[in-house]
Amino acid sequence: MSFWRLVLTSLIHYRRLNATVAMGAAAATAVLTGALLVGDSVRGSLTAITFDRLGRIDQALVTDRFFRTELANELASGAEFKQDFSEAQAAILFPNATIEIQRDGQVSRSANVLLVGTSSDFWNFDTAGVKPSRTIAGEEIVLNRQLASQWDGQAGQTVIIRLPRPTAIPADSTYGRKTDNVLSIPDVEIVDIVPNRGLGRFSLHPSQTQPLVAFVPIELLQKSLGRAGRANAILVAGKDENSWRNPEAADTLNGAIKPTLDDYAFEIQHVQRQFQDKTILDYYSFESDRMLLSHDAESVGAAAFNPMGGRALFTYFVNWIGAEGGEDAIPYSMVTAVQGPALNLLELSGKSGESLKPGEIVLTNWAAKDQQVKVGATIDLTYFLPETSHGVAKEASARFQLVGVAPLTEPVEPYDGDTPAIYESSPTPLNDPELTPLVEGITDKDSIANLDVPFPFDIDLLRDQDDVFWRNHRTTPKAYVSLADGQKMWGSRFGRATSFRIPHREGLSEDSIARAFLQELRKQQKSLGMEFQAVKFRGAKASSGTTPFDGLFLALSMFIICAALMLVSLLFRLGVEQRLSELGVLLAVGFRRKRAARAFVAEGLLVASIGGVIGVVLGVAYAWLMLVGLRTVWVDAVATPFLELHWSGRSLAIGFAAGIATSLLTIMWGIRESARSSIYQLLAGQITLGDARARSANRWRIVAAVLFVSAIALAILAVGLSGEAQAGCFVGTGAAVLSALLILAWTHLRFGGNSNTKLSLFGLATRNAGRNPSRSTTTIGLMAVASFLIISMSAFRLAPSLDGAAGFELSALSSQPIFEDLNEPAAQQDLLADSADVLKDGQVLAFRLKPGDDASCRNLYQATAPQVLGVSDSTIEYFDTAESNFVFAASGGESEEAKKNPWRLLRSPAESDGVIPVILDKNTAMYSLHLLGGIGETFEATYDGYGNVKFEVVGLLSNSVLQGRLLIGEDTFKTTFPDVAGYRYFLIHSTRPMAETAAAMEDRLGDQGFDTQSTVATIEGLLAVQNTYLSTFQALGSLGLLLGTFGLAAVQLRSVFERRGELALMRASGFRRSRVAWMVMYENASLLAAGLLLGTIGAVVAIAPHIIATGASVPWPYLLGVLVIVFVVGLTSSISSIRATLKAPVIAALRGE
Amino acid sequence: MAELVIENVEKEYPTRGEPLKVLRGVSLSLQAGQNAAILGPSGSGKSTLLHIAGALETPTSGRLELNGCDPFALSEPELAQFRNENIGFIFQDHHLLPQLSVLENVLIPSLASGSPSSETIDRAGDLLKRVGLSQRVDHRPAELSGGERQRVAVARALLLAPSLLLADEPTGSLDRRTAHEVSELLLRLQKEENNILLVVTHSLELADAMQARHEINDGLLSQITSS
Repeated sequence: MSFWRLVLTSLIHYRRLNATVAMGAAAATAVLTGALLVGDSVRGSLTAITFDRLGRIDQALVTDRFFRTELANELASGAEFKQDFSEAQAAILFPNATIEIQRDGQVSRSANVLLVGTSSDFWNFDTAGVKPSRTIAGEEIVLNRQLASQWDGQAGQTVIIRLPRPTAIPADSTYGRKTDNVLSIPDVEIVDIVPNRGLGRFSLHPSQTQPLVAFVPIELLQKSLGRAGRANAILVAGKDENSWRNPEAADTLNGAIKPTLDDYAFEIQHVQRQFQDKTILDYYSFESDRMLLSHDAESVGAAAFNPMGGRALFTYFVNWIGAEGGEDAIPYSMVTAVQGPALNLLELSGKSGESLKPGEIVLTNWAAKDQQVKVGATIDLTYFLPETSHGVAKEASARFQLVGVAPLTEPVEPYDGDTPAIYESSPTPLNDPELTPLVEGITDKDSIANLDVPFPFDIDLLRDQDDVFWRNHRTTPKAYVSLADGQKMWGSRFGRATSFRIPHREGLSEDSIARAFLQELRKQQKSLGMEFQAVKFRGAKASSGTTPFDGLFLALSMFIICAALMLVSLLFRLGVEQRLSELGVLLAVGFRRKRAARAFVAEGLLVASIGGVIGVVLGVAYAWLMLVGLRTVWVDAVATPFLELHWSGRSLAIGFAAGIATSLLTIMWGIRESARSSIYQLLAGQITLGDARARSANRWRIVAAVLFVSAIALAILAVGLSGEAQAGCFVGTGAAVLSALLILAWTHLRFGGNSNTKLSLFGLATRNAGRNPSRSTTTIGLMAVASFLIISMSAFRLAPSLDGAAGFELSALSSQPIFEDLNEPAAQQDLLADSADVLKDGQVLAFRLKPGDDASCRNLYQATAPQVLGVSDSTIEYFDTAESNFVFAASGGESEEAKKNPWRLLRSPAESDGVIPVILDKNTAMYSLHLLGGIGETFEATYDGYGNVKFEVVGLLSNSVLQGRLLIGEDTFKTTFPDVAGYRYFLIHSTRPMAETAAAMEDRLGDQGFDTQSTVATIEGLLAVQNTYLSTFQALGSLGLLLGTFGLAAVQLRSVFERRGELALMRASGFRRSRVAWMVMYENASLLAAGLLLGTIGAVVAIAPHIIATGASVPWPYLLGVLVIVFVVGLTSSISSIRATLKAPVIAALRGE
Repeated sequence: MAELVIENVEKEYPTRGEPLKVLRGVSLSLQAGQNAAILGPSGSGKSTLLHIAGALETPTSGRLELNGCDPFALSEPELAQFRNENIGFIFQDHHLLPQLSVLENVLIPSLASGSPSSETIDRAGDLLKRVGLSQRVDHRPAELSGGERQRVAVARALLLAPSLLLADEPTGSLDRRTAHEVSELLLRLQKEENNILLVVTHSLELADAMQARHEINDGLLSQITSS
């Protein structure tokens, strides 16, 4: 005999009751475990997609430059590479291609397609057995099923591929081309459709939705782009399937890859010119094929070349050079800004001093003579600003003082094609057209009249002498200013220098200069875009997801857990109540209360453990059921049916332990009251009911009154709030009312109501419910709270409206940037031709777009670099007077102006520490980025090639179409993402029917891959996530409510058992069986009805103001159906107690046997 | 030497109106080897007196001492230990644990602060032998008659050789013959164990067999006879 023997024998002896308690514990454990497994499954499924879409590819380098494909082979042949990696392949990736098919006069197209140009070896990376049926070559293409299904693409059909034409000069630059920037590759034959798995869903960006992917031979793209032997990506496979786990692997590759200057698109030119035996020019020019050196390249170049005497130059095409007040200024000239003493300008001008100061200018003698000016004159330079606005170049002027006139020698024979000009007398060092970097359309033209430039160029302004100058000197500058002035006038996000000029000296060569630059590049740890990213590691990390689904489903399953635990508590307490005298004996013979209670708790532990084991098994089934729901009726919550069951030992263990712990705590709480009772009461089978005095009842009534007052206060507070905060307040009001009602119900049952009411069978039944107030109130409470939450949650159901899109009916995303202002009639006519009318009296807001992760609630992956939209000044100003604006949940505006139009907050420049003001949707902030601090919170995001960007929240939008994106001011956008050109995201309001506008714009802007969508449909898709979770919560809550009815049945059965004597007495005194059964039924029905009624009253109080104020729709038929089902099931479950009543033998019951 | 002293004990219960006075200054003293019966009509307070004597219930006023110790001055754990070591209870409804065997039921008090020693197990066997149930040690209570169950309850009460044995209607649910057997057994064992026996009963036959008989009426105790 031992303590545990006592426990075990009790466990076995009361096995039936313990079995029911164990089933309750099993239900709680199952739900807990199931919720954790749903979390495992979401993470596991996201990870599986990551591995599936990348195959063996662990690392990827994707850049906007076209480097030699040999670079991949050079990398792969290195010893460092071979240590950790197995394969490297060069590829060309275009994430924004448009695929178009024309059939029967109809055009179908898909925009934002990932176009992959590879060799057939690419499919070696696949691990899912996906491969085209044959190797593709020439003008052939393979589509993935997702893409083909958009327009029923079949093998044998031909498509047109439209790509952004790669331009060295950014399109937003004045020198950049804004038109004819789409490259079309016609008649490409579809040879196969690969399934949407493995590399068939290849993408470098994490998303659970199926990407649109097309594969072509790399040679086709190289040929079409005029980039033979070039690629813009390297894909690398690890040595084994676990290589991706090494977070240092990308660093290893970045150390191992050795791009040449050519790969970075830099060029070193040794410029030499001699006249007779005299060396006129002998220097090296370091330039980029982008005309401008990027900021990083400039900083690396300065560090590498300054010690060699190298200096930065900035040559710019100006519109006018003219003397102050002069009428005949020089049109279209090159002007070079010079750093320090480079070119010896002052010496050449016969002046003292080392270098030009700000505000000073040196003209060539040609220009001085043309303008008839002398030293001391004022010279005006007029030029286009370096950046265009909506594709329009804007002019500006600057004034200088002429400090010198430098000589330029006139040739006797002008340039003739590639043949240089011929001089009779010695040219000067300024006779140097190489000071201007190579620019297509300018430096390759024989006549200035033939210039082909992307900015306004009026040939009529040219004079004869201008053309003579061009023929004699080509792009030789006519004037020089200081580098500081040049950068002030022409510097931009694209760069602040066009070249470095490094004087030749002994030992210096192109190679040594290149080495110096590359060494400095490594020293400064600048990649200039040539950087590997650990795509698989990052994808796996992002698979942890934005939403903790385990926590979410725990919350959603809360009612099942509560119901199961209440069941555990009720059943265990019923068991304990049967054994009160046993507890009394233990105490009477000298057991301490703790030890006696411990015997029951130990028994409960064993029961909970058995339930826990069963629950873990059931938990797997529960998780499976939830996943079936998420793949079918609740699929809107996860966007696409991709979830598969995954499990981890950790989740099973936690579910098991949590199930046991919660059940055990419930059991301990359940016996607490019993353990407090006096021994003689326990021996008599009674439990202390506490203080029976009236003041206790009054105390509880005061608590109820306080709750009612709190409810009124909350309701008043809610009037001043809006949206979900208001709904939340109203639910709080209802909860307070419900709590007060439950307290009143308990005090009524506990302390007695009006006992003078006329006695009837129904009255007797309701009075019976008061015999065990705690038990009855628990039952009423379970029903009430469940029905309250199920109904009140309906208030949070959101309906989409144009309020979330500021009244704009359409949004659009284009594959290629659009530079024109679609609000301008000329641009409308130009782009939409005869469909221009669709935008008449309409409005288009255009946003710059930095592609990135979708941070909306529809993307389950953790967004590390969310998409960014640049909000232009014109858009901000539009909202100053617009009739409708986006709904702001919060904004940090303090000025009247900002309060009226929070978009103005984006105009604040980035702070000194680089923090950028950002507006984003509240759901994106809270659920995707986990920014719970609201306004003023700062966060960082890492963008490949741009590093860490720090944002500060200045505004939060409510349920907007802009969810998933970060919105920053256009100026900060341009400085943060200098390479991103044009506008790609649009909000469109048209006075014409939406379908007509959408069709016209998609058709006319098809080359740009213009893809429109109804904003209401987008918002509906976004709100569907929240609404689906509410449905899930309500469905699972209903399940919990049904489970609660079993508790009710158990209570009834126990109640009948306890009163079998008096029920027998009623029958002995002439009650028919059916009449006694009706009484039991009434008692059950009164508890059920009271619970549902109190819950409904609380819920109606909670949601009525919100519904009246917002017009939110409540699915009343569904809710009524749930309540009716619960009532019917509850009554049905009481049949067991009624049967027990009918079957009880009268005499035995009267004897108390 | 064991001694029970009850002095001027009063007990009131709160009600919605005036407090209900159940005991009004009850005094009683018993020594080792002595036994006494408390008689009285239902609701007279005799069970309350027994509960107070067994330190199950606290008196409103008055003094209780057992072996010179005031149990109500002890903390809850100390009181539990005191009861375990000094008091044995026999109830009308015997309150045997249905899940345990006869022997295990007898051993229950030894589990209060650990596990039974071999000596305790031997004593349990000896007690069962003395109550005539040595052949039924492995039986469950459900397999015993009413009289046998009460014998087990007696053996359980005597396991740890308490100095005070309290019996609340020990024969109340037994037939006359069995009640007589149980009464005899109880008195025999009390004599053998030399402890104090206080019995609350309606049974005049049992009361007559006791050394002293007291009657409680309207909360007041009066001695009827003493032998």
